[in-house]
Amino acid sequence: MAVEGEPITFWFGCNMLRHAEMIRISILLLERAGYDVRAAGGPAYCCGTAHDHQPRGASNMAARTVSRFNAAAEKEGRGTVVTWCPSCHMHMSDIMAPGNAAAFDITHITELITQRAHRLVPQLIVPVRRRALVHRHMGFATHVPINERVMDLLSLIPGLELVAGPAHPGHMCSALAAVPGALPDTVHETWTAAVANRADTVCTIFHSCHREYSALDGRDRISVRNWVQLVAQAMGIEASDAYREWRKGGAPDIAAIERAEQSKYHALVEPELRKPSPLLAAAPKLVE
Amino acid sequence: MTKLTAARANSTEAYLAEAGGELAALCTACGACFSACPMVARVGLGRADPKSMTEGLRRLAVGQSAHPDTVAWVGACTKSGQCVEACPERSAGLDAMLLIRIAKQRAINHSRQLPAKQDPTYFPRIKIFARLQLSDEELAKWL
Repeated sequence: MAVEGEPITFWFGCNMLRHAEMIRISILLLERAGYDVRAAGGPAYCCGTAHDHQPRGASNMAARTVSRFNAAAEKEGRGTVVTWCPSCHMHMSDIMAPGNAAAFDITHITELITQRAHRLVPQLIVPVRRRALVHRHMGFATHVPINERVMDLLSLIPGLELVAGPAHPGHMCSALAAVPGALPDTVHETWTAAVANRADTVCTIFHSCHREYSALDGRDRISVRNWVQLVAQAMGIEASDAYREWRKGGAPDIAAIERAEQSKYHALVEPELRKPSPLLAAAPKLVE
Repeated sequence: MTKLTAARANSTEAYLAEAGGELAALCTACGACFSACPMVARVGLGRADPKSMTEGLRRLAVGQSAHPDTVAWVGACTKSGQCVEACPERSAGLDAMLLIRIAKQRAINHSRQLPAKQDPTYFPRIKIFARLQLSDEELAKWL
């Protein structure tokens, strides 16, 4: 959709491609806040942060991504790159930019939307009658006050009650996966806090956390929603969440699987979708 | 809005090589970052000496080997960022989280005390997820 407004690049990263609906909602929120959005992500826009073992390859990826954003800034006036992923944001700020001349600045989507909240508030017309515990991490606050920004945005939604969840180590759940026991314990603590606070929703901030909590949607009568989904709901947009349904036992339709190559789907994607929730490893007393 | 710093090197690889030594030189090995780290107890290092741990951090950041306890701590960094505020040399330009990040990379690629996490399915899996959900137009425009 062509939108008149300040041109920006929305850099959603690599792993957000599991959550296409959340990318689309993010674009919609930015457009409704008055921006002309060009979305970019996936391997061709990799920041390189996940490739510490390949310093030359990671360096080349970073250079390619910066040069693409430079071209968008110079040719289309997209001098602001709006991030979603905290890894991408920190990597750009701390490592990519000092090693590559960047013709743009960066800001996180929560910062940009908070700045234009006055444009969004009149559009938040549908009460969202939920009591949501916000799943939080202590990391990324070095760069963006993410927990405060998300709480501020969610507090604009009519009908929504908010509870701040425990602040966990790491910048998002995927960072904890490499430390034995850390991720299951974190999920257990958040879920236990949600039950104790009589929350009916666990609200995720980042995609990697949403990935881990999706399989728990509906357990203990608690729904799992991302913050953009709650904002969209308040706008009257009931967005689907394919990844969440797949993690709960569903599967893409056969046409989509064939389009994605059936053998690769079975080898690469299905094992992730059928992986048990980390909660099962952490808290036997909480499960059936 | 984060105003990006001007480039200091002609690649991230070159920058990291420079920055490791610079940050290690600013570090006084006081142990404050280690004491503030929420992962210390998680990896069983609650009784370790913070000063000797951060002395090892400086060694790793310049490509030297360090005590296995220091390597285990650096390897367990989850980017919680508590070290940044805790560092008394922050005002002098020491970004403790970046120092630990560089030390971790060096422990993988130089002293080889940490194993490389190689996942050849990382990008292929992401591409399959994209093809499962994106329209042809989105695939063409976004990726």
